[in-house]
Amino acid sequence: MRQLVIYETSASELDIIRDISRTFPSHVFFQQRHGPGQRSLYNVLKAYSVYDRDVGYVQGMGFLAGLLLLYMSEEDAFWLLVALLKGAVHAPMEGLYLVGLPLVQQYLFQFEQLVKEHLPKLGQHFSQEMINPSMYASQWFITIFSYSFPFPLALRIWDVFLYEGFQIVFQVGLALLKLCHDELVKLPFEKLIHALRNFPEDAMDPDTLLPLAFSIKVSKRLEELKQEYEEKNKGSLTQSVSNNKQLKHLHSLKSKQLLSKSP
Amino acid sequence: MAYRADDDYDYLFKVVLIGDSGVGKSNLLSRFTRNEFSLESKSTIGVEFATRSIHVDDKVVKAQIWDTAGQERYRAITSAYYRGAVGALLVYDVTRHVTFENVERWLKELRDHTDTNIVIMLVGNKADLRHLRAVSTEDAKAFAEKENTFFMETSALESMNVENAFTEVLTQIHRVVSRKALEVGDDSTTLPKGQTINVGSKDDVSAVKKAGCCSA
Repeated sequence: MRQLVIYETSASELDIIRDISRTFPSHVFFQQRHGPGQRSLYNVLKAYSVYDRDVGYVQGMGFLAGLLLLYMSEEDAFWLLVALLKGAVHAPMEGLYLVGLPLVQQYLFQFEQLVKEHLPKLGQHFSQEMINPSMYASQWFITIFSYSFPFPLALRIWDVFLYEGFQIVFQVGLALLKLCHDELVKLPFEKLIHALRNFPEDAMDPDTLLPLAFSIKVSKRLEELKQEYEEKNKGSLTQSVSNNKQLKHLHSLKSKQLLSKSP
Repeated sequence: MAYRADDDYDYLFKVVLIGDSGVGKSNLLSRFTRNEFSLESKSTIGVEFATRSIHVDDKVVKAQIWDTAGQERYRAITSAYYRGAVGALLVYDVTRHVTFENVERWLKELRDHTDTNIVIMLVGNKADLRHLRAVSTEDAKAFAEKENTFFMETSALESMNVENAFTEVLTQIHRVVSRKALEVGDDSTTLPKGQTINVGSKDDVSAVKKAGCCSA
């Protein structure tokens, strides 16, 4: 890993440097400018951006690396990041950060469907208020709850995540909505967005939230929804990554067709 | 109804904040909506959202502002938020020339995704860092004139021109809306009071609506 940091150059170096002080800025380990925490964070992210040039560096990865660095050496944090993104134990996660953020899009689709199935009343309310999971849940997926949730909770989620895989993110997301359900269904658009980004403290108590999360079964539906998503996007979306213009053209054609077909 | 929008406004405008990563979009937003600035802010992941109402002429105009992650790869998520926007603040950092060079690409991105009537303000932020300035006011002004956008230099840190920049955008939108209302008598991109609009499908994240407005 040292060699990757020292001898290789990365197109992302400046991006990484700019974000170093913007990753866990109030955590004591990362607070000191150019301190050991910030230096380690830089080294891990730079090494990864060289190791996997397709992913490079994407905002959000710093929170994963930063969380790992609190518990292990640079070297171990780097290899654990590799293992997570490349799927050494669980399903690969690199799609969270690849061009087009394909896995984020898939997870958002799956989550929206799960909300409708597990919490139909809330799902309907979201539809009515035009709330879309990308408005509140992107960060949950991209940083596995490490971006804005209290550390003690994030760590408990990470324990399960490392052991069992990504589905805990869906379970915790659903459990949060479930705990706040009665409040959320009353709120209009703007207040709803605010509430979905600022959950009350008692809902974020790990001893309440996690048992509830475990009780929500999602693995079978996640698999089915993944296939549904792939089916839905066959053709158009897979090309979009390589050729965005073509996709736009396709979309405009499609919408024109829709327009001309509608009565 | 269990709830009503407790604020009262005449117009609701959707505005987006775009520009390269680290130029200060989130701090411009927090300065405008909460009068706060943070030196210890986290990079934005995905999108953030805030609102504020101001008076324009004799009307109350409410801005629904979407703040987007600046890194190129995030456009896969954030560009959906351009749709339906009637105003945009395109931000660069006056101390980093590359963020100004990228303005052209942002502009294209914006124009590809939005209505031609969108009001765009080019914003040179971090103007307080005088000794580090890398983009001259004249260059930016000339560019803005060429591209037919408004232009202002701001400092979210010193609270300089932030209020002006947003107010100017909202005033100009209001002007466009009033003119269009005169011309057409109906306008789908704006939201006159009391009217609930539906834009596209429920997946359309651009949709803005005023809840509970018709039940009283």
